[in-house]
Formats: sequence, structure tokens, C-alpha cells
Amino acid sequence: MSDKKTVQPTGLSRREFLRAAGIAAGAVAAAPLLSACGPFVGGRATGPVKIGILLPYSDIYAVLGESITAAMEMYFEEVGNEAGGRKIELIKEDTEIKPDVAQQKARKLVEQDEVDLVAGIVSSGVLLALRDYFDANKKLLICANAGANPISRDRKTPYIWRTSFSNWQPNWPTGKWAAENVGKRAFISVPDYAAGENTITAFAHSFVNAGGEVIGVQRTPFPNMGDPAPFMAEIADANPDLVYAFYSGGAAVTFVKAYADFGLAGKIPLLSSGFMVEEDVLPAQGEAALGVRSGLHWALLLDNETNKRFRKAYKERTGREPNVFAVQGYDTARVIVEMLNKVEGDTSNVDKMIEVLPDIQFDSPRGPFKFDAKSQNPSQHIYLREVREVDGELHNVIIEDMGEITDPGDNSKDLQV
Amino acid sequence: METFIIQLLNGLVFSMLLFTMAAGLSLIFGQMDVINLAHGSFYLLGGYIGLTMVRRLNNFWLALVVAPLLVGALGLVLEYFFLRRLYGRHRHLDQVLFTFGLALIAADLIRWYWGAYVESVPPPDLLSGQVPVFAVQFPIYRLSLIGVGVALALFLWLLIERTRIGAIIRAGVADAEMVSALGIDVHKVFAGVFALGVALAALAGVLGSPVLNLYPGLDFEILILTLVVVVVGGLGTLKGAFFGSLLIGMADTFGKAFLPEFTLFLIFAVMAVVLLLRPSGLFGLEGA
Amino acid sequence: MAAIASRLARVRLQFAQRRTWALLLLAVVAVLYPYLVRPYHLSLAIEVLIFAIFAMSLDILLGYTGLVSFGHAAFFGLGAYLVAYTTIGLTNNLAVTLPVVVVGTALAALVAGFFAIRTSGIYFLMVTLAFAQMLFSIAIRWSSVTGGSDGLSGVSRPAIGVGPLSYTFDSRTSFYYLVLAFFLLSWWVLRRIVDSPFGWTLRGIRENEQRMLALGYNTFRYKMAAFVIAGVFAGIAGMLLAQFFRHAAPENLYWTTSGQVMIMLIVGGTGTLTGPILGAAVIRLLPNYLSTYTDRWQTVLGLTFILFVLFAPQGIMGLIQRFRQRGERREHSENRTS
Repeated sequence: MSDKKTVQPTGLSRREFLRAAGIAAGAVAAAPLLSACGPFVGGRATGPVKIGILLPYSDIYAVLGESITAAMEMYFEEVGNEAGGRKIELIKEDTEIKPDVAQQKARKLVEQDEVDLVAGIVSSGVLLALRDYFDANKKLLICANAGANPISRDRKTPYIWRTSFSNWQPNWPTGKWAAENVGKRAFISVPDYAAGENTITAFAHSFVNAGGEVIGVQRTPFPNMGDPAPFMAEIADANPDLVYAFYSGGAAVTFVKAYADFGLAGKIPLLSSGFMVEEDVLPAQGEAALGVRSGLHWALLLDNETNKRFRKAYKERTGREPNVFAVQGYDTARVIVEMLNKVEGDTSNVDKMIEVLPDIQFDSPRGPFKFDAKSQNPSQHIYLREVREVDGELHNVIIEDMGEITDPGDNSKDLQV
Repeated sequence: METFIIQLLNGLVFSMLLFTMAAGLSLIFGQMDVINLAHGSFYLLGGYIGLTMVRRLNNFWLALVVAPLLVGALGLVLEYFFLRRLYGRHRHLDQVLFTFGLALIAADLIRWYWGAYVESVPPPDLLSGQVPVFAVQFPIYRLSLIGVGVALALFLWLLIERTRIGAIIRAGVADAEMVSALGIDVHKVFAGVFALGVALAALAGVLGSPVLNLYPGLDFEILILTLVVVVVGGLGTLKGAFFGSLLIGMADTFGKAFLPEFTLFLIFAVMAVVLLLRPSGLFGLEGA
Repeated sequence: MAAIASRLARVRLQFAQRRTWALLLLAVVAVLYPYLVRPYHLSLAIEVLIFAIFAMSLDILLGYTGLVSFGHAAFFGLGAYLVAYTTIGLTNNLAVTLPVVVVGTALAALVAGFFAIRTSGIYFLMVTLAFAQMLFSIAIRWSSVTGGSDGLSGVSRPAIGVGPLSYTFDSRTSFYYLVLAFFLLSWWVLRRIVDSPFGWTLRGIRENEQRMLALGYNTFRYKMAAFVIAGVFAGIAGMLLAQFFRHAAPENLYWTTSGQVMIMLIVGGTGTLTGPILGAAVIRLLPNYLSTYTDRWQTVLGLTFILFVLFAPQGIMGLIQRFRQRGERREHSENRTS
């Protein structure tokens, strides 16, 4: 570690200055060797359609990335990997959960691989970090998960369309349902970040309008909740009519299990945004999740032909039950295929592709799929589900269809608490 | 008042869980002066081995024995082939790079073998269920962690302070040359300490899995938490790790109870304040 | 004997000349780079240069002063947030944003350094980590100012000048030149600093602080100055990243970013300014390429680190030095035999 170099005490020689410039070049010179040269092309009308996939394949969201990818590939195979008369080619990149890595990968896909469009994006932080890039470069991004409200509202751009949901969507109808069917005094528990805040304001708006009262809000540390015990004690202390929570992944398992461990599960009804008890975490939660009710745009047991077919095919392919993220991946692929068919494979004009998106309608595993042109987000049914034992396995059983829900496209149906 | 006592209990449980996590790091860090950024990885590996044991054999108790043994053996191999070349203060940065590389590989291979889904381990039947504490149904498994933490602390204290092996370890840290002059193989001592340290991490992984579950990313979560605990307590002393765990465990619990929005902030603020008042931690040796 | 000596001198001269030419060529490549490669590689180059500034700044602390900071992302992220907040709320003019970043990060470094420098070794490492993590939780929490977990987006590229004489670095090529200029300037300033008596005092503190104290140096002040200098340049790097990505993210402050820059230093080689630059290039580019070609890229990256520890303990710079010494030895022996 010691510096063995001798350095002239006098000023700076030209040679040294040159060295700096040289190093600058040297450090980056390796990059271009790895690709063939050629002009930057936005989109083409012939050859295979290249679709860039930006998803996390490592770190905590890896399951979401894997599920979305598996279902996308499944749908593309169903249509013979062809749409609009052109072959479909996927180029996958791992975004991890780092906005700066995602930025780098987005540039790689768009500029080096010259993809015709990009799909994917799991976390809202990554989506908002990429928003300006896709907007400025007029590149189409089909978002298959991240639910950040602003992307349907004040940060909307013509070039980002979402096939998944806005964070507002599953929570708003559930608030009304909870006030009418469960109780009037709610305690809310969410992780302390943007999606948690979106959850609170959407739930509170309809819950309070239906005569409910939010008696307490608990914002737990993000990204790591750590030991959940203190939060359980606080909930027991508040003794509300119901608890409304939003967690996903590891935190969802930790929270739901602790809720049962501390004997709260039988005493205070637990409601949530559907992701908290989705099929990806349900096996780990086990019986602790029994009786948890949640709102979501899909459920494994949803009774329609497409869903049955989808479930069977997905299970055969991956050995696991599908989850809502897989459904979103499946629909993302379908949207892309339908769009390519409508523009007859011509991806050279991004405006033409965007133009046909609002006309796309089909039967999805979640029921009828269609975009709301204003929020550039699906207008979709939200189902109230309950975790029950079905044939020896735990699944979400649909209790009620709460109707078709469309993001308002602004913050008029949110309530700060 | 009742809530306060329950939170105190929660704090105690979490402190002892922290102690089981931090004991191994404290040992390696304090006794061998080796920075081990793969500590959380050994924790996670132990937890996942435990998961497999519980799934296949439905025996939590066996997992508590086998996981530390396997991971400890892995520790011996790593020490023998790699770490042995990296001892010494001037090799700290190499230790950082080596153990970080190890952590990356471990995270990747664990995800590859066990998958990225969140997994949970049920507590053993003997310790499942709850006992009423005031209005709260307190999980028995959590309560038992207090006993486990105290027992582990006692065991390690006896081992290091009251046995011949402990005396050799202590002497080896103070003056390795002296110990080798006495005809004792210092290499073996260090290898043993490292194996014990990572075995303890694996033990904590099994113990913690019914409470914190297992998922990718938990390794680094545990690493940062245990680093804070060990440094707050002060390097080189078991006492430090124990009281560091208590302080951080309590700060975390009461922070979550009364200032939930500032919990993340709080733990690090506590650490910063402790180090400002006592630059070598609560019980660290001056100049260490 | 005299003949051998003069020949040796000539060889050395040739070597120096060769290097000068090589460097001149590299300089030309650096200037023409935007016209030689496709935009994606230009963007990679911009990233590498930005992280090179970041890594060089840490080296002032870690390599030259022996203060191992595990919280250097604090200043990187702070620079990003300061420029994002100022640009969105006020102006993108560098005449305003640059001073805001420099003064802001300098003040933050003064405060953090005042506390951190009382500790040393692993304790210093953890206090700096604590500072960065506290800033991270503020960034997540104080969403009205920081945008919370989503960060601040909509940061426009910087501009200089006023009125009709103003210029915005909107295109990637122009932004590349701006970053290159910042990089060269940073390198030049840091080079001046480490070669000055001040820089040698820092090395003295690294090697033996007690001796420096005994010699009458107020080492606290020196370390403080190093901490502030390192903080400011990290802030400038953070500023450039936010301007490039048009976005400031809480991850810029997170410990993973601190860890990444530390790994850059160790891989590149500490205690030199060239090492961090090479390390920045390797760490920004290698995972990127690896993850394109293999799903197991983390394993490959981890193995690479371990190989470095075993075979290149002084990082890339150590390797280069070893090759050069071998080369010189060979030339030497060739001269002998001829």
C-alpha cells in the first residue's frame, strides 16, 4: 500500500498532464471493442423484433423477475415467437434493484442492442429513474410491474404504458369494502417509502368517505423491517377494528407470521393490498396467512377459461403455481404481440405503436384486459380475496368482485393521513 | 406501563438474537483482527441448511447441530486455503476484498440452490404456541431465545476465560510469536477460532430463521447489523458484544415503538454517539 | 561500464518517450472518443469518468491518509441531491449549482469529519458508515424535499453562461466533454495536492501518526482537510451522475455505493491516482458485461475479487508495476549480454 513512486516536487509536467488524459481514454477504450460499429437505429421494419427486458434477476426481487420472464416467454412461445409477420427476439438484462444499474442497462438495450421496445421494471424507484430517458429518447417502455402512481399522473409520458396496476388501484376499493364489511376503526401499517404512502392515501380516501376512521398509522423502516415484534405490540395496544397493511417479499412473510405468532390473527382482522399474501409468499407464510383478506386484480382461483389454461401451462413449465407478477408478464407479452399485429410489424414509428395501444383488448387470466387511455394503465376489476384452505393448500379465494377500477389520473381520490 | 414492559421483553428477545448473530463476528473480528464481510453469508447458509434439515427430517434440534458443523467445516477449508495468507493489520483491505468476494459468491450460489423465494422455518413443536403476558400473547419461541442468548454468552465466557484453549487464544492474540515459542501451533488456534466464529454465525442462522425467515439479501442486512453491534460494544471483548447487543436491541425496539419513522436513523445515531464518547466502543481496549 | 550506463540511460529515455507517445495517443483518443464509438459506449465512458472522480476522491482518504471510510457515498449522494434540488427548484446553471454542491458537501464533510476523525481504524469506518446511513434514512423520510424512495427525477443537464451566451450540455457528446473536463481538472488538482508538502504529510500520518504528532504536526487538522477535500470531489462526482442520469436516487447514498467505490480502490490499487481510475473502469464495466453473458455473474465477480487478493494484492497498479519491473530487468539483462 505504500507509495513507492518518487514524485518531483516541482509543479506538473506536460507528461503528467498527458498521462491523465491518456488514462481517461485508456479506461474507456476497451468498451467499443466489444461491439460492431454501425449507425444508431431507432426501430426497424424488417428482421426480428428485438424486445429488451429490464428485470431484477438477483437480490430481493429476483422472484418477481423470474416469474415475469417465465410467463412472457410462455406467451411468446404460444404464438410461435412471431407477431406482425416478424420473429420475436428477447434480450434480458439484470437491473438488480439499483437505479444506476438500470440506467446503464437501459442504454445498452436501446443504443447497443437497438431494441424496438423495452418491457419489464419491477421497482418504482427504477421506473421513475428511467422515466426521463425513455421520454427524451421517445422509446416505448411497457411496464410489467412497478406501480408508482406518478407515472399515471403528473410524471406521465406518452412512451411509458403500464400493463400491471397503479399502487392506488388495489387499495382504493378495498378501503370502502373494509368500512362497509369489517369495521370503522382502522390501523394502517406500511413500509416507509413511496409505495407505502400510495397505499395509505388510497385506502384512507375511500375508507374515510365510507364512514371509517384511521386511528393510527405505522411506518416501518424501509428497505429492511428487521424485527417486527415492536410493531405487533403497538397494534395490540391500539386495538383497532381492523389492520390494513402493505408488505411484499421477505417483509410480507415476516409481518404476517409475526401477526399470527403474537396471537393477533384471531383477534383483529388483517386486510391488505393483495401483494402481501400473493402466491409467491403464501407457501412461506403457511397457516399464519389464513383469513387475511386483500384486494388485487387477480387471484389464482379466478374462474375464467384463460386463467385455468394459464395456470396449468405455467405450472407445467415452472413447477410452481403462477403469481400475479407472472400474470402481468403474460399480459405484457400479449400486449406486445397484439400491438405488433396491429402495426403489422412496423416498429420504425413509435407514435404508430402508441396509437394502437388503447385499442388493445383481450381476455387475460385476470379477466378482460384493456387500457385506460388517460392514465396509460389498465382499467381492471379488483377482487376482494381471502386466504383459505382449498384441497389441502392455501390459496386466495375470491369473495367479491369490487368492480372495474380506473386510476383517476390525478391525486383527487387520495387522502393524506 | 404494560406496553412498556412488553416492549422491554421484545427488546430483550431481539438483543439476545443479535448476540447470537454477533458473537461469531466478535470472535473473528476481535480475537483474530480479521474483517469478515461474509459473516451474514455464513448466517444465511446456516439458516438454509437448517431449512433443508427441517424439511427433510422434520428435526429442528438436529439442524441446530448439523448446520454449524457443516458451516464450521467450510470455515476450516476457507481458512486453510485462503485466509491464512491474509492475516495482519496491513492486509485489512485484502480481507475486505476477499470476504466481499466470498459474500457475492455465497449469495449467488445460495439463490441458485435454494431459489429466491422467501422461506420460513417453523419453530420446534416444543416451543411453539404463546403465553399470555398482560394483554399480549407472547410467542414461546421468542422467549426461549433469551435463554439461548444468555446460555451462549456464559458458554463463550467460560471457554475463553476459564479453559486452556481460551488461554491459548487470548495469548495468541496478544503475542503470536510467544505462543509459537511455547510449541503451540498458532495456525491451528486461529483456524479453530475462525471455524468456531462461522459455526456460531450458522447457529444464529438456524435460531433466527423462525423469526426473521430466509431470503436473498438477508445476508447483508445481518452483516450491517452485527457490525454495528460489535463496534458499539468494542472489539476484542465478549462483554462488548453482549452489551452492544443489548444497547442496539433496545434502541431498535424502543425506536420502532416510539419513533418508528426514525428507526434506521436511530441505530446509527446511537452508534455514532457511543463512538464519539468512547472512540473504541463501550468495552473496547484503547488504541485497539 | 560507462558504455553500459549510457545505454541504460538511453533505454530509459526511449521508454519515457514511448510512454509519452502512448499517452499522447490516448489523449487524442479521449478527445475524439465521441466520434469513434456508438452512443452507448460514450455513456459508459461518462459513467467511468464520473466514478473515477469519486474513487480518486476516496483515495485521498483511504490510500494517502490511511483513513478507511465506509461512508463516502454520503458526499456522492449529497452532491447528487443538492444539484437535483437546485436544478429543479432554481436553475441548471453551473455557476450556481457547482458552488452549491461544493459548499454543501464541504460543510457536510466538516461536520462529519469533526466527529469521525476522533476515531480511528475500524471505528472510523463505522462512524462514516453511520453518517451515510443517517443521510440515507433522511433521504427516504423527508420526501417533500428528497422525493423519498423514488428520488428526484427531472434534473436537466447543466448550463453555463448567461442570456444569449449561455450553453446547455444537452447532447451526450457535449456532456462527455464537460465530464472529461471535470475529470482532468479533478485529477490535476488532486495530483497537485498529493505531491505537495501537505500530501506528504498525509502519507506521514498514514505511515505513523504518532511520529507526525511528535514532530509537531496537528494531525487532526490535516486529516480534517483531507476529509473535506475528499468529500467535495465525491460531491462533484455525485453532481455529474445526477446530471447525466437526470435523477438523484437514495441508492446514491446507500452503503452499497460506499462499498462499491471502496472495492474500486482495492481492485485498482490504493495510494495512487491511476489505480482508482482503473478500478472504476473495471467495477463499472465488468459486472455489466458479465451479467449480459451469464446468469451467474455474481459468482464470477466474486471469484475475480478473490483472484485479485491472491495474485494481485496491490490491485491492478501492483500488477502493472510488477510487469514493468520485470520488463526493465529484462532490458537490463539484455544490455548486459550484448
